[in-house]
Amino acid sequence: MSGVMNPPLSPRNADYTIEARLDAANHTITGSEVITWRNITTRTANELQFHLYWNAWKHDRTTFMRERALGFGPPSRVRLTDADRSRIDITSLRLTSPPAADLTTQLHAIAPDDGNADDETVMAVPLPQPVEPGGSVTIDVKWTAHIPRPVARTGVIGNYFFIVQWFPKLGVFQDEGWNCHQFHAHTEFFSDYGTYDVSLTVPQGWTVGATGVQRERRDNSNGADRTTTHRYYQEDVHDFAWTTSPDYIERTARFDHGILPAVDMRLLLQPEHASQAERHFDATRATLKYYGEWFGAYPYGHITIVDPAYQSGAGGMEYPTLFTAGTRWLAPARVTTPEGVTVHEAGHQFWYGIVGNNEFEDAWMDEGFNTFSTARTIAQMYNPNYLAVRYFGGFIPWVFTDIALARETEGNRLHPYRRDAKMDEQSTPTYRYYPATAGSITYNKTALWLNTMERWLGWPTLQRIMSTYFERWKFRHPKPHDFFDVTTEVLGRNIGWYFDQVSRSSDVFDYGVQELKSSREHDQHRTTVVVRRYGEAIFPVDVLVTFANGERLTERWDGRDRWKLYTYDRPSAAVSAEVDPNRVLLLDVNLTNNSRTLAPKGGEAATKWSLKWMVWLQDHLLSWAFFV
Amino acid sequence: MSVWLEGLRRVGRAPMILAGVWAMTVLVAMPLTLSLRDALTEHLGASLAADRAAGGVDYDWMQEFGDVATGPAVTFKPTILGFGAVLDNLSAFLDATTRPIAIVAVASAYVLLWIFLAGGILDRYARDRATRADGFFSVCGVFFFRFARLAAVQLIVYVFLFTSMHAWLFDRLYPNLIRDLTVERTAFLIRLALYVVFGVVLAGCNLLFDYAKVRAVIEDRRSVLGAIVAAARFIGRNYAAVVTFYLLNVALFVIVLAVYAAVAPGAGATGVSMWAGFLVSQVYIAARLWVKLAFWASEIALFQDRLAHAGYVARPEPVWPDSPAADAIREI
Repeated sequence: MSGVMNPPLSPRNADYTIEARLDAANHTITGSEVITWRNITTRTANELQFHLYWNAWKHDRTTFMRERALGFGPPSRVRLTDADRSRIDITSLRLTSPPAADLTTQLHAIAPDDGNADDETVMAVPLPQPVEPGGSVTIDVKWTAHIPRPVARTGVIGNYFFIVQWFPKLGVFQDEGWNCHQFHAHTEFFSDYGTYDVSLTVPQGWTVGATGVQRERRDNSNGADRTTTHRYYQEDVHDFAWTTSPDYIERTARFDHGILPAVDMRLLLQPEHASQAERHFDATRATLKYYGEWFGAYPYGHITIVDPAYQSGAGGMEYPTLFTAGTRWLAPARVTTPEGVTVHEAGHQFWYGIVGNNEFEDAWMDEGFNTFSTARTIAQMYNPNYLAVRYFGGFIPWVFTDIALARETEGNRLHPYRRDAKMDEQSTPTYRYYPATAGSITYNKTALWLNTMERWLGWPTLQRIMSTYFERWKFRHPKPHDFFDVTTEVLGRNIGWYFDQVSRSSDVFDYGVQELKSSREHDQHRTTVVVRRYGEAIFPVDVLVTFANGERLTERWDGRDRWKLYTYDRPSAAVSAEVDPNRVLLLDVNLTNNSRTLAPKGGEAATKWSLKWMVWLQDHLLSWAFFV
Repeated sequence: MSVWLEGLRRVGRAPMILAGVWAMTVLVAMPLTLSLRDALTEHLGASLAADRAAGGVDYDWMQEFGDVATGPAVTFKPTILGFGAVLDNLSAFLDATTRPIAIVAVASAYVLLWIFLAGGILDRYARDRATRADGFFSVCGVFFFRFARLAAVQLIVYVFLFTSMHAWLFDRLYPNLIRDLTVERTAFLIRLALYVVFGVVLAGCNLLFDYAKVRAVIEDRRSVLGAIVAAARFIGRNYAAVVTFYLLNVALFVIVLAVYAAVAPGAGATGVSMWAGFLVSQVYIAARLWVKLAFWASEIALFQDRLAHAGYVARPEPVWPDSPAADAIREI
């Protein structure tokens, strides 16, 4: 376990050697980095473009802050001071080869996405000499950064530091030019693979967790200033994150599997969650096992799980070989906290870490794939798991053991999708989604259409598609058509019509039974069923008609027309008719209209549930009686 | 303790009061329940989702319904199930969560009915003997307008507590107290402490207004402000007993909640199990009402125990609308 990957797994065209010093008292980082970048495209590079993510929270006029204000509700009532905001300033940028040149003064902000002149999250610098395909440059960058209060999963609270997207980082140069988006409120990141050799100097005695493997640790003493430098190293990753705090407790465990490579797991845990260590390890093991078996092996041999501090806002995020989980002080059994988030973020090692799609433009390719995979893993490992609701300021959980959460709906998050289904076409670049509903289109819709594919094509087929895609695009940057092409290849037929609807449109699926009648005619019962397509999107569905004598007839409807009539003459009357009875089409936004019965129990069910509600209302009235 | 138990016994000796307020609670809840039933019936229609919802929980359907629900029906969520309903309301009470306007309107009507009945109930417990319906309601009528004036004072106080004070405690002070906390348990303890502060202030006001009502009824006071001042004097002079009684009643409340937490019915099915579950829930509602009445009865018992002129319970048939005190004085 050294961080060395032999043979190389990725192009390694963006290597970073970083030295950074944390001033924990003043919340600043002083850093320097040497970046060696190689042009692996067919296009000549005339400039370099950098992300300076921490400038997103410099003031309220940045693109990030403007987007966050759009549809995210009222801001926190806790006042942000200037000390809470962040910034990152490049103090020096020198080209060291070829040829040596000081480019500091030529550095300038650009806003490729929206032209926002107040946004300084992307910097460009012209190169004195173009970098031809296959050529490379080395640059030396020095910077200072002020660490924010927790925002977008980074920052400091108390003496808990979680430091991500923290250094000047190159965008991705592609055949189309630089792909270096501004920091948006609801998108994540995109960068090239390389080797990270990072030395972090932090107060002595503090625990450090970081991407990669610790290669060296050196105590420094300069009078009262006692620090320790931790050197971390990792090859074939596309980002580097770290955390430090004196409060972490550390646990280790190992993932062993007969076929998949072993993985050393390191857990940095908050003391108040000490009893939940095994739950974190078990969830990580489950992820490494199932993702490994379904898609492909996790190759790094080590993984760091960070349990973030309360209010750090750092929970539920992925970085190469390190991720943050997130749990609560009270975490009842049979509820998937912390398991859900642990599986999801560990799963990102596969969908994001290994298959490195562009999260600015096609976030659904990792978030959606991973939501689907998470739900599948949870269903394998934690079945049943129940709904829990938290009361009294969100602290006290109550488990509703009557409500076991289903993978198909809760795991894939159907409910929010139903509400937001038409808000954006999925193929729109993610950074242009409406911020408040971006999650539904990114995570939920993808999980639903993948699970629909699983139920339609069968898991072995979908598993072959996903593992082929994984194998082909690991340590590369796939685009949507790459996944669609793999699907065509594995299936041997093109299902572009499906992707046209689920990815390239915002149409919704909604099939239903409009009418069911059954009447006696002579010695037979004549049954008529009208099924209808209420939504714009089209999908072939089954129609199941059940008769009183137990006979069940299944029709296959291509689902194209707006409605279809089925007529039967049978010895028995019909009992019910159901469209998509096996619920293949998980994207159907209205399940209640999918069936009709001639012996309806709506009244009974309504009585039962209204009586339940009545007790709630009576109890509520008793709260009011307090005032008399 | 014996005085407190005497209060509880008075509740037990007036079962019609408990039955009456329970019936009132059912009747007040009924219109919105029927309205919700109609909405659920319409949404379920003739679908097979109704079969699933009848047989247990169809969470998908509940969520679908939630997406189209309006008015009071928006509160139809899984949290209505079993003991979750109690936690939902208790949490909403302490966190000052707003409810749909229709529910607030019904709750206001419910409070108004309590204000009307309060005089009769307190009078009945003070006399500790049957007063017949006409006697009961004539006392209700006598005290309704006095208690309505008291309610105006209560409204001002409680609105202040649930808006200004609550907002200050939980929207301003609390976020600032936990601003740099990294331990959830500590944050919870701080919130718990603020709940206690808020609860103590609420309980204090509640006590004051309770004893104001007690004094108004027993001493036939017409001045609401006079009754409040007199209540404050009584509480001040009998602080330990008053607080002890209040805490004992709070303990009863907690016991009722604990028992219901253990036996609260889940989703169940339709038919017998549905009605059995409903019956258990109604026993809980009745128990909650019994606790509320126990607060009043024990406070009356204490007041009558501590003040000579109020300690005598009249025996002869009262001449309405004489006060229980006047009733008692005639017996001296």
